[in-house]
Amino acid sequence: MKKERLVVVGNGMAGARLVEEVLARGGRDRFDIVMFGDEPYGNYNRILLSNVLAGAHDAKDIFLNPLAWYEQNGITLHTNARVHGIDRRAKVVHAADDAILEGYDHLVIATGSNAFVPPLERAYVDEGKFREGVFVFRTLDDTNAILDYASKVKSAAVLGGGLLGLEAARGLLRLGLEVHVVHLMKHLMEVQLDRMAGLILRRSMEQMGLRVHLEKVTAGVIGEPNVQGLLFADGSTLDCEMLVVSAGIRPNAQLAIDAGLEVERGIVVGDDMRTSDDAIFAVGECAQHRGKTYGLVAPLWDQVRVLAERLTMTKPDATYTGSQVSTKLKVMGVDLAVMGARDADGDDEEVVYSEPSRGVYKKLVVRNGKLAGAILLGDATMAPNLLQAFDRGRDLPADRSELLFALSSEASGASVLDMPDDAQICNCNGVTKGRIVQAVRGGCRSLKVLCDSTRAGTGCGTCKKDVQAILELVAGDTVKEDPSVHHYVPGVPLAKPELVRAIRERGLRSVSSVFAALAGGVEDAPSKPGLASLLKTIWGKDYDDERDARFINDRVHANIQKDGTFSVIPRIYGGVTTAAELRRIADVAEKHHARMVKITGGQRIDLLGIPKERLPEVWRDLGMPSGHAYAKSFRTCKTCVGSEFCRWGVGDSTGLGIEIEKRFQGLESPHKMKLATAGCPRNCSEATTKDVGAVAIEGGKWEVYVGGAAGSRVRKGDVLCVVDSHDDVLKYFGRFMQYYRENAKYLERTYDFVERTGIEKVKRVLVDDEDGICARLDAAVQEAVDAYVDPWREADWPATQNQFAESLAPAADDLVPLRRASGDG
Amino acid sequence: MAAEALPGTATHCPYCALQCGLRVTGPRPVVRGDEDFPVNRGALCVKGWNAAATLAHSERLTSPLVRKGGELATATWDEALDTIAARVHEVQSKHGRDAVGVFGSGALTNEKGYLLGKFARVALRTSNIDYNGRFCMSSAATASNLALGIDRGLPFPLADVARTQALMLVGANVAETMPPFMRYVDAMRAEGGALVVVDPRKTPTAQAATLHLRLTPGTDAALANGIVHVLVRDALIDADYIDRRTEGFEEVKALVAGYWPERVERITGVPQAQIVEAAHLLGRARRSMVLTARGAEQQSQGVNNTLAFVNVALALGQVGREGGGYGCITGQGNGQGGREHGQKADQLPGYRKIDDPEARRHVASVWGVDEDALPRAGKSAYEMLSSLGDDVRALFVVGSNVLVSTPNAKLIAQKLRALDFLVVADFFLSETAALADVVLPTAQWAEEDGTMTNLEGRVIRRTRAIDAPAGVRTDLEVICAIAARLGYGDFFASSDARQVFDELRRATAGGPADYAGITYERIDAERGVFWPCPREDHPGTPRLFAERFPTKSGRARFHAVAHRAPAEEPDADYPLYLTTGRVLAQYQSGTQTRRVPELTAIAPVAIAQLHPTTARRHGIAHGDAVTVSTRRGDARFTASVAATIREDTVFVPFHWGGAQSANRLTIGALDPTSKMPEFKVCAARIQRSAPNAEADGERK
Repeated sequence: MKKERLVVVGNGMAGARLVEEVLARGGRDRFDIVMFGDEPYGNYNRILLSNVLAGAHDAKDIFLNPLAWYEQNGITLHTNARVHGIDRRAKVVHAADDAILEGYDHLVIATGSNAFVPPLERAYVDEGKFREGVFVFRTLDDTNAILDYASKVKSAAVLGGGLLGLEAARGLLRLGLEVHVVHLMKHLMEVQLDRMAGLILRRSMEQMGLRVHLEKVTAGVIGEPNVQGLLFADGSTLDCEMLVVSAGIRPNAQLAIDAGLEVERGIVVGDDMRTSDDAIFAVGECAQHRGKTYGLVAPLWDQVRVLAERLTMTKPDATYTGSQVSTKLKVMGVDLAVMGARDADGDDEEVVYSEPSRGVYKKLVVRNGKLAGAILLGDATMAPNLLQAFDRGRDLPADRSELLFALSSEASGASVLDMPDDAQICNCNGVTKGRIVQAVRGGCRSLKVLCDSTRAGTGCGTCKKDVQAILELVAGDTVKEDPSVHHYVPGVPLAKPELVRAIRERGLRSVSSVFAALAGGVEDAPSKPGLASLLKTIWGKDYDDERDARFINDRVHANIQKDGTFSVIPRIYGGVTTAAELRRIADVAEKHHARMVKITGGQRIDLLGIPKERLPEVWRDLGMPSGHAYAKSFRTCKTCVGSEFCRWGVGDSTGLGIEIEKRFQGLESPHKMKLATAGCPRNCSEATTKDVGAVAIEGGKWEVYVGGAAGSRVRKGDVLCVVDSHDDVLKYFGRFMQYYRENAKYLERTYDFVERTGIEKVKRVLVDDEDGICARLDAAVQEAVDAYVDPWREADWPATQNQFAESLAPAADDLVPLRRASGDG
Repeated sequence: MAAEALPGTATHCPYCALQCGLRVTGPRPVVRGDEDFPVNRGALCVKGWNAAATLAHSERLTSPLVRKGGELATATWDEALDTIAARVHEVQSKHGRDAVGVFGSGALTNEKGYLLGKFARVALRTSNIDYNGRFCMSSAATASNLALGIDRGLPFPLADVARTQALMLVGANVAETMPPFMRYVDAMRAEGGALVVVDPRKTPTAQAATLHLRLTPGTDAALANGIVHVLVRDALIDADYIDRRTEGFEEVKALVAGYWPERVERITGVPQAQIVEAAHLLGRARRSMVLTARGAEQQSQGVNNTLAFVNVALALGQVGREGGGYGCITGQGNGQGGREHGQKADQLPGYRKIDDPEARRHVASVWGVDEDALPRAGKSAYEMLSSLGDDVRALFVVGSNVLVSTPNAKLIAQKLRALDFLVVADFFLSETAALADVVLPTAQWAEEDGTMTNLEGRVIRRTRAIDAPAGVRTDLEVICAIAARLGYGDFFASSDARQVFDELRRATAGGPADYAGITYERIDAERGVFWPCPREDHPGTPRLFAERFPTKSGRARFHAVAHRAPAEEPDADYPLYLTTGRVLAQYQSGTQTRRVPELTAIAPVAIAQLHPTTARRHGIAHGDAVTVSTRRGDARFTASVAATIREDTVFVPFHWGGAQSANRLTIGALDPTSKMPEFKVCAARIQRSAPNAEADGERK
């Protein structure tokens, strides 16, 4: 079969898409395809030009069909070739001043549209040539020219407050220009928005920094030779160094007019996309179908699909019956989705929710129980739902609010204790609360026995905490802990006191030696960090440090963030710093491109977003010790201003805080320890809800608090004792921390430890010295303090060759992770 | 070895592809999780805990059944085997060799799958053999082969999941389908990793996610393209990796320029901010991972959907990196091994292609047959089943309940009835077995030896822990016995699993899935060996792609795949999407799990899940009896009303037969390359059932 000739005038969103659709339907065997494009490129995605202008998208990444694509698919593409005539009798198109003639069997006109430029005095210097500084915003070349010129000026005006005008304005704003939007109508985007939405949108745009001028008729351009400003019909003026005209589009139908085809606003086509000449079709923005022209991509693609089906005879009777239009404003920071009818009509129902203070406006137009239109401004979370209801003509729920707001019924949030007996607690094993309760009543008094008996928690393991809660609720005081609950870590079958004794007796100084001696040689990865912490507590500087026993945080002395970068927090003793130190931190933050610099809750400065391999350099540049904000250890001592400056201060909390922090920095512990000192009982530094805290009271005395918490639970600390001097505060702080280090389970915070032990017992041991261990505790903590080495010195002495290398060292493949306590904040 | 210290026989769970290690003790078998097996370390879900319940079950078949005068009646093995030989002979001499078909299963051991493939080619000399894995893994398999040059579900050990920093699960509900998998996900989350779940339903897995993308069924490729669009836009692709290790990216880049977030939102129904967030979570993590499962794969665009998500992982530069990459989560117990050893219509052992002359020569020499005598590629599963009674007149079904698991089940029921002769080997009288002319009672998991290959490509051992009931034979014995009756006994000399495995090793040697170096002893000592393992001194291959891809160019291949609508979309008559899947306490066609009281107590009936808004519109309350209808048929369910599903979608599980059969509703549209049916999308409507309507065909 001889191939027919298919000629497509226009290589934009419609023309190129048509050819793709034709090819997808076997069109290559049926047609020789010839295309004409005005521009020198392949086909690019015009929708993304506002992204390019806003700097969000690289121009080279928006090409849909690079030039090679045409060649690969056997398409003859004439770039830079303007078609200027159609000889309908001979079925030939004339292009490039008759340098190119192409005969056709089927001709498709997809010439799109042109920017509409209202009559403006002095906008042009020559016929069709703009004054320098005046632009339209339609093509990639326009975009590049705008970007280029914008880099040389400080202010710009955009003529037109429609969708594209606002996107252009936002793009210019991002380039650092002062940007004005000049609009003829009473509110922005009046084609799509009602008055209220327009008003709210205006405010949102102004909050972003745009200056909006409404109801302004622009008469002309001021400036010679370049644009210097705008002149309005009311005689007022506006200074600006460039003008981007975005006042709408006009179908580009000149070719069709010259060829004598029927043209009204656009080239008139029927449902078969045929023009008044049977061999000629028109699609896209240049076409007028059932009295309508479209300026959006979705209708265009609907049209080309129908035409492709007809041309390839895959569906020879396909028809296009019009499109429903919807669009979203591509402006960062403003959510706006609109679809269909703007206002209610006749018997339509209008549903409106308006909250101008938050910039939120939602409106639905309901026609015969279906969605005929919607505006969603400021909160477009429901847009996908509405779009699909609109696109598919879905029946709407009787309760229209379901369309405006997300249902909250998904969130359960109910405590396991309030759940009914038939609620399923363990999904993996289908265990209900009732069955667990029954098992506890039947004698299961420990978590392990309960899990074994009911099988709850033996699948994915997620529900174990709920099972524990039920156990405690039902069994109350009779909860028996199974022995393994007392094990300090799961991999070594000893409770902490026995474990400590065995480690001391046998002189076990490394994690691997503990596994070898006490766990039959079986290494349990999840147990390693806990053991490492304990060994460090017991042996101080004599601890034999094996890196693989540590969490990543402890291996590289920084806190891993959810994107895999690290946070660096240098120590700032007592939250007291100097201008020079701040300057240095600022320099480091800039040099290493910290993505965020944040003042922490512990009165220091956090540099976030540091890649692992840069950590050593960051530490070197800072020249400050580690703040240990990543470790299970003493973290920080928060202070208030204290007696030196504060009118109410009765104790030198700042000085004391610095002393505390210098003494105990880096002290390893079962879990993190956050401390504070307060200069008076007003407690500005929140010392009563810290792991350990001191509060100054009248008479030069200090209250020592232990076991406070202000995290996922809040607990006021217990008063351990009242002392007279800084030295005593330091003594009792140290004594308590050492006692906690020796006796708490791994990952047990002080507040759990104090509650478990009982504050009276803690007082008897640490204040009354009931067990006679106070002297030993004091000596032990002194030893630990003496063993302190700033870990950030590893910047110069890496502990292993690839400690800070990018990829992880190979880990044991068969490591099955256990649920761990979450990292520290 | 510590393994010696634990009581009982170490073997593996008979259900999903995680193949959790089990210990079986006692003459009345009791099951516990095997704390020594690295994949599950003792964890089990409810199916595993109750795995022993099917062994000494009262409905267990213990004698062959032969249809006499329209009824199935007990018969001796000799009688049953003689009948089979006679009828096969009759059909083949009348209608040709290809008139006998074989339908296998992803639940069979490697040895059984291998021997069944050999049985079809050597003893029956038919080209028509395929298996239920076609309904499970074929799209991912095709996509992996196209893009990466090899198809091993996870090209890395499961432990890598715990080490990644951003994990995207696409159409995978592991919290219900393989619960112990979640331990790895939880560990990843505990280290600060992010979980992104792509699913039309807010499944228990999605509820555990950092970000849940609740897409419209059938729009997976559009979503993946949108994510790659954002990766390109925001410079989050790994250009250096793309340059060094892949090909075809330019086409993908040009394609995704047409998938800007606003458009993808409109196609997929996923808010554009979430599309961007997903791309950022993946793109900004140092190590990220994309895993697909049936949600994206069981569609008529299944291969394309999978390729589109492979593109995401490739664009991120993660494939072949430790702690990152792409993988597919295999479903059935031996879904991996089952697709490697010749149960597929177009395949020979070792993942060889049946049309490859080299492969034919090698396998023919191992089998001791003439190369030209080996049949060519035959019909794929759904094609074969829908040709029953016409081209294929007699059918062997081993370990599969096709009547429940095949789409368009009403049509398939007619086709099965139109057969001249049907043989089913199973341990219960499944819905399919009930239609058979001969039913052969076979041994179960704890009663037999063999190997399985789990979702990681780890070859593991199934070990006999107890004796099978009297009267029952293993599938291997059955295959050998039938071959002998057909006059091919010499080619099927041994039904001993270890000897069959040794032959399998020779047959796979040099193929992509090379088992030559794997022995039972090594598996025991190393707790599984990862294929390929070409020599006994080869360590096996836990991780693939570190250096190169097994493609012709050594590079991974991007594929530009446009979004195409599913075969059937909602319209005025059938306004809802219907999607199907699994629930935790049931498995596949339910042949096993519906017979376990502990499991039926949790999931007693088939539910139809729908959104409260949709329920209100149809006047349906939670617990109501409802009828779901499609152009292919009706089925009855109990309404489960929950806001965890999209308003435009109804979900039904596929574990039931008869009036509750989801596959009476599904569509037989196939993926053009993988021949995967579109289980996951079709158009449906729902209404309250008439109060006196009677459920038919439901198992007692």
